Amino acid sequence: MAVPYYLTPLLGALAWSLLGSPESGFINQIWRALGGHDHLIDINTGYGIAWVMALFEGSVAFVMIAAVMKSMDPSLEEASQVIGASRLRTMLRITLPLVVPGVLGAAIFVFAEMLGSFAVALVLGLPNRYYVVTTAIYQLVQQYPPKIQTAAAMGVSLFAVMFVMLFLYRRIVMAGSYVTITGKAFRPRVADVGPLRYVLLGVCVFYVFVAVALPLATLLYASVQKIAVAFPTAGNWTLDNFRTAMSMNAVRSALGNSLLLGFGTATIGVVLMGLLAWLIYRSRLPASGVMEYVVMFPQAVPRLVFAFGMMWAWVVFPIPIYGTLWLLLIAYITVFLPLGVRTIAGVMLQIDKSLEECAQMCGASWAFRVRTVTVPLLVPGLVAAWLLLFIASVRELGASILLMGPHSKVITPSIVESWFGTSSELTATLALIQTLVVAIAMIVLVAVTRRVGAQPVD
Amino acid sequence: MQVSQPMGPASSAPTPHIEVHGLELYYGSVPAVRGVSFNVLPGEQLTLLGPSGCGKSTTLRAIAGLEKPTSGEIRIDGVPMYSSAHQINIPAEKRRLSMVFQSYAIWPHMTVFDNVAYGLRVRRAGAPEIKEKVGHALSLVQMSEFAGRRASQLSGGQQQRVALARAFVFSPSVLLFDEPLSNLDAKLRADMRIELRDLQHRLGITSVYVTHDLEEALAMSDRIAVMRDGVIEQTGTPDEIYRLPRSAFVADFVGSANLIRGRLRTDLAVNDLIALETSAGHVVYCMAYGRPVGAELVVSVRTVHLTISSDRPAGTQNVWSARIGKTVFQGDFTQVHVGWGDQHLIARCAAMEPIAVGQEVYITVDPKRVVLLDA
Repeated sequence: MAVPYYLTPLLGALAWSLLGSPESGFINQIWRALGGHDHLIDINTGYGIAWVMALFEGSVAFVMIAAVMKSMDPSLEEASQVIGASRLRTMLRITLPLVVPGVLGAAIFVFAEMLGSFAVALVLGLPNRYYVVTTAIYQLVQQYPPKIQTAAAMGVSLFAVMFVMLFLYRRIVMAGSYVTITGKAFRPRVADVGPLRYVLLGVCVFYVFVAVALPLATLLYASVQKIAVAFPTAGNWTLDNFRTAMSMNAVRSALGNSLLLGFGTATIGVVLMGLLAWLIYRSRLPASGVMEYVVMFPQAVPRLVFAFGMMWAWVVFPIPIYGTLWLLLIAYITVFLPLGVRTIAGVMLQIDKSLEECAQMCGASWAFRVRTVTVPLLVPGLVAAWLLLFIASVRELGASILLMGPHSKVITPSIVESWFGTSSELTATLALIQTLVVAIAMIVLVAVTRRVGAQPVD
Repeated sequence: MQVSQPMGPASSAPTPHIEVHGLELYYGSVPAVRGVSFNVLPGEQLTLLGPSGCGKSTTLRAIAGLEKPTSGEIRIDGVPMYSSAHQINIPAEKRRLSMVFQSYAIWPHMTVFDNVAYGLRVRRAGAPEIKEKVGHALSLVQMSEFAGRRASQLSGGQQQRVALARAFVFSPSVLLFDEPLSNLDAKLRADMRIELRDLQHRLGITSVYVTHDLEEALAMSDRIAVMRDGVIEQTGTPDEIYRLPRSAFVADFVGSANLIRGRLRTDLAVNDLIALETSAGHVVYCMAYGRPVGAELVVSVRTVHLTISSDRPAGTQNVWSARIGKTVFQGDFTQVHVGWGDQHLIARCAAMEPIAVGQEVYITVDPKRVVLLDA
């Protein structure tokens, strides 16, 4: 179910644009071939954008709600059934109230995230002049002459709204979580839903189909076509798109830059965020509460707005890093700060504090303790964080699109440029290449974490 | 350790190894420890005993240097480790102490050998010395054959032994124990209790032991300090604590006791016995043990010291008639509730013949076993 999370929203938007644009969309071509009039769906509308966003960006909600469900002690439901309540009653009176805070929290979180999201609305909305706040800001900055003041005002307003939403989210999660995580081990209960399970299975299959299989197949199909149309003809097959993509200097340098940045962001990020996580959650620094807020702050700032601010700061600043990869590196490390710190902290908090304290009681200095106890125990978390940061960097769009310069191109914005500037077939190819790179990184992630995680048990 | 103390009659008390004076520790505005003072003599085992949240673990961690007190002073071998007056706070790793943790804290990424060798490696001991000392420590805790294993392959009891070996292998001056047996099952706990006591005697290390388990405290300690709400209620040998509890809390926490309230009857006093009369009119003789005697008195009688008989026993003091309420069979003993005037008394009788509920009986207790409490 979490698979769509690994496909970028940009990829989803490109694929669904090929599928559902009113004139050339494959679905509409098939519709007309079957005798339909005009078009069946129009993806370049608010509904279309919402559909693609829900499919590709909303899957965060799945991860969040799944965590709540898993952490629920099944004996709470069993207690209700033993007393004599029916399954429906148990569901309504016990299960639902228990998960409501988690679900509500996820809803608000996703809402705030979507306000700040950019890629889908850009690809699907721009051709139809359908704007959301982020694409409007982008348009205001990119047009000539740029309307910086208007863009700034919109950015600050968006940021204010998101900040309030995320504050609300924190309040709900903190105040309303009845679902206590005890040290007691329990198995999440698996409900037996009877014949209903075929319906539910159908829903899952449908979701995976429209969010994974269909988009990937579409892009793959388009990438090997001279001109992407719904119906394959013998002369239309080609591998030229891949040849072109790999021979284009811009693409090669953009891909190289992205990998380099991913490497740099992940490596610097793991050291920096590991240290921050340790300071916040493990040291007795008096300001650790404040630090936690500061570190989590970038979560509330839409990346595009953040990049916009950074762009103007560094244009004015005398240090000449504007238009270089350094600026992107700084931006990436900042916007991924919450992601990295949270990942490492998750592992760090699972490590019993007394393991470090015991080393201290054995007379080990801070440096010795960190080297012999803390870091070895953290390795699985650090590896996971490294790969997450790498993947996130390679996929980044919102911040990169404003901060990259002509000599510091990165891959995701280049795909967007290609979409608006060249053919959709070539764009599909680029998107596939990027997905492949991310997929390889994901496979390495899973393999390495498994191996490292399994090591202490061997 | 300073043992060469002149043994003249004027200075009979040896220098305390650990001195805690006026220790206070607040978490924000919440007090965890509120003015605790005690000494531990060289080679002595002192136990901090109390219910959860009484501040015993916090006190131990303050000695260890893992918690920073709010005020007070902690000295080890006469050297201040923490002093609020002199602004001294030696970090934990420099205090030359050692500690056994409740969670064992066995490092999962190291073998048993590496776990135990850690403290020696920190002290830059040579390989032959490490091999010899770790081998010796592991043999003392009967874990020699497990040296190459990883911690995750050990049972709870084995992990506890490794934790113990790791704690004493580098000959620390003081060993601190933070509820080390509380995660073991009851049977293993009883065995480990004796082993730990033996080991502590053999090594002669000064130790401070924290537990909420009464039996553990009684079996293992040279002295016990009973704590409640961040203060020490009573300090004494296990025997003193059990036999002569000073307060109702200690009487009840250390074993089980009946509390009896009454007015002083000076006219009935006999020799060194004090008499009090309950609201139901029973006369109870008790011993003051040097404690102040007021007009309203509270005395404590251990449940095992009450005797039940169907025939009237000889003697006149502390013999009362009562009625059997309910009986609870608990294996080694039977707990009998008897109605006595307007209150219930609980007696624990070993190997008793069955008695009918409602039966009229006599209960009796030796006046020496009736202990006057500080009001």
